[in-house]
Amino acid sequence: MYILLLGNRRYQVPNTPRRVMVDVAVIGAGQTKYGNHPLGLKAMWAEAATNAFNSVDNNFEANLVDEAFIGSVAFGGGQLGNTAAILTEHSGMKGCSVRRVENACASSGFALRDAMMAIKSGEADIVVAGGIEKMNDLSAERKRYWLGVSGDTEWERLAGLTFPGTYALMARRHFHEYGSNHDDLVNISVKNHMHGFENEFAHIRKEVSFEKAASGFMVADPLTLYDCCPTSDGASCVILAADHVVREFTDDPIWLKGSGAGSDHLALHDRHSITQMSATQKAVAQAYKSSGVLARDIDLAEVHDCFTIAELMATEDLGFANRGEGGLFARQGRGRRNEGDVAINPSGGLKSKGHPLGATGTGQAVEVFKQLKGTVEGPRQIRDAEIGLTHNVGGSGATCAVHIFGRDR
Amino acid sequence: MMEEETVEMTEQEILDMEEKETFVWKGYLACIGEDSCIVQSPWYLGEDCVFGADSDYTTLAIAAIQLLQSKGTQINSINSLNDVEALIVFMATGVEVMQTSSDESAQLSAEWDLCIGDDARVLICKNDCDVEILGPAGGLDVDEEFHHEMTSAWEKECKPEHVSQGAYVSQQQYEEGASARLNLMSQEVDGELVWPPRQMDGKGNTMPQASTPLQENATIESWTKLAAAGAPSEFSIRAPLLGGITTVFVSFEQGPRGVFLLVDDEDNDPKIGDQVQFAIRRIYAQEGYIRYGLKCQIIRE
Repeated sequence: MYILLLGNRRYQVPNTPRRVMVDVAVIGAGQTKYGNHPLGLKAMWAEAATNAFNSVDNNFEANLVDEAFIGSVAFGGGQLGNTAAILTEHSGMKGCSVRRVENACASSGFALRDAMMAIKSGEADIVVAGGIEKMNDLSAERKRYWLGVSGDTEWERLAGLTFPGTYALMARRHFHEYGSNHDDLVNISVKNHMHGFENEFAHIRKEVSFEKAASGFMVADPLTLYDCCPTSDGASCVILAADHVVREFTDDPIWLKGSGAGSDHLALHDRHSITQMSATQKAVAQAYKSSGVLARDIDLAEVHDCFTIAELMATEDLGFANRGEGGLFARQGRGRRNEGDVAINPSGGLKSKGHPLGATGTGQAVEVFKQLKGTVEGPRQIRDAEIGLTHNVGGSGATCAVHIFGRDR
Repeated sequence: MMEEETVEMTEQEILDMEEKETFVWKGYLACIGEDSCIVQSPWYLGEDCVFGADSDYTTLAIAAIQLLQSKGTQINSINSLNDVEALIVFMATGVEVMQTSSDESAQLSAEWDLCIGDDARVLICKNDCDVEILGPAGGLDVDEEFHHEMTSAWEKECKPEHVSQGAYVSQQQYEEGASARLNLMSQEVDGELVWPPRQMDGKGNTMPQASTPLQENATIESWTKLAAAGAPSEFSIRAPLLGGITTVFVSFEQGPRGVFLLVDDEDNDPKIGDQVQFAIRRIYAQEGYIRYGLKCQIIRE
């Protein structure tokens, strides 16, 4: 108790209890299959939420959720306002505190971070983080209007750029500065298609030969079709719980060990370099620090490979490869499942699993959750996986969220 | 005196002289005389001088005014018929366009005239001088089908009902950034130039007015050619005709960097390290309003 004096008045104020930092665990995670989903937004979200609820080891009820953070770009404008309200209404969470989180392709990566913070603040015990995007029910003309809306509209878009173009500028510059080449990108494409081939939730389940990937249709020189992720429908949902309630739901939680986020100039021309992403570097430094984990400790990483050059740069920015050696890393197959230093995109990544913008970040967390729980399809399982990382980038690198998960607290 | 000389010259001599006096300016052909200049498109359809893929009378007029200004000529205002976008010309050059009617009795309030004919050519002269200037010589043949399709595409794009459904730069937003887009106006902070302009610095201080034009010396750091299907919707009508859109990422000698389209929307096989210069051209149109801006032209020997 302490005394607060205000004028001639005296107030006795109780001491605020010292907050003990809460640890956060993932107790459930689920998603829809990515691709051309036959259902609409509400049904897709309900499907992802149901899969997440059902993945909880002990009984879980939707009405236990205190807060929900749902990432979405609202591509196409189908439900631009109050997206989270209508989705949670249709998935048994009506009444809880909800909001939509928008940070372009990193929307649900940031939803996950916000959800974690809600629990760490002590205000919530059970929180849902998720994401959704419906991209393939638009006419080609309408879809074109929405592509690239997260870039710098005033300067980049008026110079003819959408994201294939901005990433192509990065790729050509990386080739020039470091001697990487298109074959390095082809290796990434081939690997991710190989990883995604057996993923039942993947959009493109097709293995691709080096020769075929090397000779794809040119989308944005030097990037070909096989360097670009598809536009996908999809939803994903992750359930987080505070440490003091975790055991009600599972004896085998996956702990959210660390989180970091950062931002950068939206337009490429304002950045100090276009061959690295400072938002990623800032986010991963925070995540490594808060988790006490180093790059060499990571067993698997779901990396934001919207374009193959993005994965190449991410392997450098996340610390898996030295600066300028992302191409060499890919060439040597050091990101291949159960063969390399670290399994990069064991789900197939955005390239094969798909990229439903707002759903991608928590979709990455779904894969890491399953890998660490040992519940993915047999051939895809990373052996002895203990620590996983997710890396979710908004647009061409203006925002980034990184999370580190582990079997140990 | 000039007339007498002209009469005595043979056709070949005139052609030779025109060629000698012709030079390339902002991607156009130009000739300059005393208190006058002619700027025209380099493209020909048969005998007719026609606009290229991203030009119109406004871009020609801007180039012509800039040519005279580059020679030290002071122009405050200019008389013109309604064929140019007065606001764009003013923002690009600082010259006020006094719109006049075609009525011969109309009062001409400005000292200079902008004359526009039936073809892709403009003449600027003082309205009290006798014009003694040869037209530019040379030019390139344009593919007839391409020219007609491009003309038709622009007509479609310029219609008021051609609107955006997604990303959008409003007329207000465009005009707010126009001095930076048309003149490379940058902000000077502690001896460094900042472009495009920003609102606040890292300490929360309001940035100064953008009042220092960047010098137009820049080098290509990267480039890409986007397939027509991947181009922003603003370019969706013309991109298929152009076979895609080329964008260059350039670094100005004074520090700032930027992304630009190429003049005439030509491919031109850019390379990292190429030097570029700049010219104002059409970028795209929406809701009946054309957005103009600087585009790059690769300097080749």
